[in-house]
Amino acid sequence: MILAADPLLSGPVGLPEVLIVLLKVGAAFAFLLVSVMLMIWFERKLLGGMHQRMGPTIAGPWGVLQTLADGIKLFFKEDLIPDRSDRLVFKLAPYLSLVPAFLVFVIVPLGGDFAGGSGVVRWWGRDTYLQVADPPVGVLLFLAMSSVAVYGVMLAGWSSGSKYPLLGSVRASAQMVSYEAALGLAVAAVVLMAGSLSTHDMVLAQAGPGYFGIIPSWNIVLTGFVPFVVFAVAGTAELNRPPFDLVEAEQELVGGFHTEYSSIRFALFYLAEFMNTITMSAVIVTLFLGGPSGPVLIGAIDWAWGVIWFSVKLFAFLFGFVWMRATLPRFRYDQLMDLGWKLLIPLSLGWFLFLAALETGRDRGWNLAVVTVVTVAGFVLAGFLLAGALASARRGGDRFGPGGGGDDGDDGDDGDDGEPRDRVLEEAG
Amino acid sequence: MEAAVFIAAAAVILVGAVGVVGSRNPVHSALFLIQTLLGAAVLFVLQDAHFLAAVQVVVYAGAIVILFLFVIMLLGVDRAMRLDIEPIAGQRPLAVIVGVALAAVLLTVTVVATGELTGVRRAAGERALDNGLSDVERLGRVLFSQYALAVQATAVLLTIAVVGAVVLTRRHGGHSGPSGEET
Amino acid sequence: MLGQYLPLLALGALAAVFAAGSFLASGLLAPRRPTRPKLEPYECGIVPARDTPERFPVRFFLVAMIFIVFDIEIILFYPYAVARGGLGLFGLVAVMIFTFAVFESFVYLVGAGALEWGPPRRASARPGAVSAERTSASTVRRVGLEGRRYGAPEDESARMAPSAGGPAPGEAA
Repeated sequence: MILAADPLLSGPVGLPEVLIVLLKVGAAFAFLLVSVMLMIWFERKLLGGMHQRMGPTIAGPWGVLQTLADGIKLFFKEDLIPDRSDRLVFKLAPYLSLVPAFLVFVIVPLGGDFAGGSGVVRWWGRDTYLQVADPPVGVLLFLAMSSVAVYGVMLAGWSSGSKYPLLGSVRASAQMVSYEAALGLAVAAVVLMAGSLSTHDMVLAQAGPGYFGIIPSWNIVLTGFVPFVVFAVAGTAELNRPPFDLVEAEQELVGGFHTEYSSIRFALFYLAEFMNTITMSAVIVTLFLGGPSGPVLIGAIDWAWGVIWFSVKLFAFLFGFVWMRATLPRFRYDQLMDLGWKLLIPLSLGWFLFLAALETGRDRGWNLAVVTVVTVAGFVLAGFLLAGALASARRGGDRFGPGGGGDDGDDGDDGDDGEPRDRVLEEAG
Repeated sequence: MEAAVFIAAAAVILVGAVGVVGSRNPVHSALFLIQTLLGAAVLFVLQDAHFLAAVQVVVYAGAIVILFLFVIMLLGVDRAMRLDIEPIAGQRPLAVIVGVALAAVLLTVTVVATGELTGVRRAAGERALDNGLSDVERLGRVLFSQYALAVQATAVLLTIAVVGAVVLTRRHGGHSGPSGEET
Repeated sequence: MLGQYLPLLALGALAAVFAAGSFLASGLLAPRRPTRPKLEPYECGIVPARDTPERFPVRFFLVAMIFIVFDIEIILFYPYAVARGGLGLFGLVAVMIFTFAVFESFVYLVGAGALEWGPPRRASARPGAVSAERTSASTVRRVGLEGRRYGAPEDESARMAPSAGGPAPGEAA
């Protein structure tokens, strides 16, 4: 087996290599900023359409330059640092949000011909991948960066010295931390299929001919949809996007963790938020939808088709995120925690084992039907255990003091929360 | 190249470590601790232990320091602290003595075993044992075959940790008054 | 292998420089006229009456603690996932036992109610809890009644108050 790594940087690194790296880094940087600009415009325009409004119309054709105008305006706004804030941490927090948002994008393969070749392009006599870097930690970089990003939110809320940001950041960090576990398990299922941490290898493994000529051999099919759904839900929660945007539930928390931020400091949080949306979509495409793999239809530049396929898939997810925002109402905090801990984590844990058993069985020539039946039996048993545990928890009453987001109170609908738990029970079984 | 990266990472670690001890604000201490941990992750990368570096960031920086910060921020430790009180009598002189002793031991070990603990590259024959596998794969192969028992012991240990966490935070019997309800 | 991290370093540095440059530009371009109310904590326009809460429900700590445990367990799945091909049946059994241990601690957590965030299903009768006599009428603070002798019909109770030994009408507001 070959060690997965960008061939460009495997040998000695000289000036040409450094120049190519700088070119790629600059291109990724520009791509991210421009796509965030377009994404914010797209979200406002599409939301407007879904609300029967116009959305931005003034700046540029169809209002495309609205984001740029807003950004420039924010440079001229007064930058306030509240008296009661911890000035050092207050200034540090935007960096901790922005830098991880940029870094995750590094591992996303953006193009290359995976169907015919191995996704390698040759530029100026040097082989390289069309992704900024393919470090040996591979997809773990994504997990590492999303755990570092929690600090940006947490410290921003705490350092403001104000109650709503603090409540928002406490909620947000507990939420992000909870869903990181489900996210990690869903990624582990993909790693299991690819047998490698490298995102390049994952895309390569998904670029096969597929089944019956129609169904592609993408991980979404190979892993049986469940990890994909878990990842998509947990990813949305990790982004604090609707319907999981309890972090900035306006009715309760004003603006959430960045209430006290103004001017360009606020803009950077906003930028990081949308950049995370784009990178999360890109990571979903890479892990589950074959990344840039796809057929070369016409023309000679085969790597460019990878870029096109990747953009199409990315766009589909960005549209989905906006659509969800326009459609779904916000979760309540206990529903959010129930979904993350009691449904997604056990489900993805069980699914990981199922996939491991299937793969091992395939290697050793077992009857896969038997493996499936045994797994279903195991799932039912585990479901009964969980159901019993849930029943015991309900009987026990309140043993840990008040729940919910600090002292921000209940929203008064205590009566109707039997429904989410029952749903958890049914689906865990 | 490697020496330069090592020196930079070591500097980051040392500044962080001094910051952890020296900061008056516990939140700043925790931030310096993150800096130290990230620096250590760079050192792991330098040793070709990429997976370990990722674990260092995901588990230490991403989970353990988060808990520290939760406790510091949400219990108001940062405001109500008197630095002039010693909880244990004679704590400070004792700390100095233990610190000096530890430094002496470390120095002696480094001097006596120069080259065997630091700075020696692995022999070529040892590298050939890697079979060209990545560090994660090698780790996986030994963890779930040779050291399977140790892995299961870890799982048991973590289960005990879960039970401990629940027991410690649980409300006892119901005789805690309103003041105790959020402890 | 170190070279593989070069783009990471470059992009991280670029992002940090971008953020720092933005702050610098904003510092040069933005006005600076701080006033007292601007620097107060944001309270939707009213004067802050209560301090920032210093203590939070123990559940948040519990989640952070449990997350450490699950994070370690999940990270141990990765070496197995990568090396599965070379581990065979023994590895599968090993990881199954490991998962069982994870699941068992998870069932314990659920059973102990550590993951219940909803409002308590059954009111616990603990000492110090708010008594049943306390109603919304007894805790609602009337605003804007100062100096008014005759207000809305509900104001009757406020005027009755002195005879019952309560505060004077003006203070009851």
